[in-house]
Amino acid sequence: MVGPMSTGHPFPSQAWADAFRDAVNANETYRKHGRPWTFGKVAMAVKAEPDRGIPDDAGFVLDVHEGECRGVDYVKGMDAMQAAPFIIVADYERWLTVIGGDVDPIKAMMEGKLKLVKGALPTMLRFVESSRALVNSATEVDTDLDAPPEPPL
Amino acid sequence: MEPFVALAPGAERNGFAPMLAQLVRDNLTERPNKKDTLRRMRGRVALVIEDLELVVTLHFHDGGVTVHDDFHGIPDTTVRTDAEWITKMSLIELEPRFGLPDPRGAVAREVAKAQADGAIKVHGALPRLPLMLRLTKLLSVVG
Repeated sequence: MVGPMSTGHPFPSQAWADAFRDAVNANETYRKHGRPWTFGKVAMAVKAEPDRGIPDDAGFVLDVHEGECRGVDYVKGMDAMQAAPFIIVADYERWLTVIGGDVDPIKAMMEGKLKLVKGALPTMLRFVESSRALVNSATEVDTDLDAPPEPPL
Repeated sequence: MEPFVALAPGAERNGFAPMLAQLVRDNLTERPNKKDTLRRMRGRVALVIEDLELVVTLHFHDGGVTVHDDFHGIPDTTVRTDAEWITKMSLIELEPRFGLPDPRGAVAREVAKAQADGAIKVHGALPRLPLMLRLTKLLSVVG
């Protein structure tokens, strides 16, 4: 995560999604705790905020399976995320604090700042350590905080 | 009759209240044997999450539960701890026969130690032991 004068990836963008996939796959903690995960894709949805450069709901669909991230698609609209059995929603500002490592994702869910809008909460809680590792991977992505969000193609 | 899980009016302003209601609903769906447990519960349990400065009250009545923001009525039992331990408490292993906390479980032992160390403070648990044991079973996501 870098700040001004960054050469990193805009958030959200497909380039950020690809870097996130690589960061997840480089995360040994995630590999260990995520190994039993066979419950399907997880979507991280960013609510539309036109005045922040996000004209429509957008999101990352993480194809995670047995401790590996097989791909991350950056998609437009909630409909495009419905194939994922788990969908977590937050606004743009909140995601920035999460990927910046300033917020524990489970605490953010308890405070209602991240919302699980689809999927079984007990399953997410059983994978609390892998959820944390997944989010910690996001903090490893070289993110350009000054770049405007890029809409999905 | 199906047990109900309700959110009291205004409780949604406390982010933890809807999450707790969702957890109970999902647990009842995944493990229908918990429905009998919920039907038998009576009383009020307040959960105070000190690091997040959040309080919810679970009011067990008429075969179901209503989740309230903040303290609601006089709690029979109050649990004071941090968010991390609340999460851990939902991961307490249960022994399969009666669904009671399994003292051999790694998380159960960790939680017991946290209680002994004062990281988890439970007020009024002993007089309402059945209520607390049923609460553990109701909220556990691993048994």
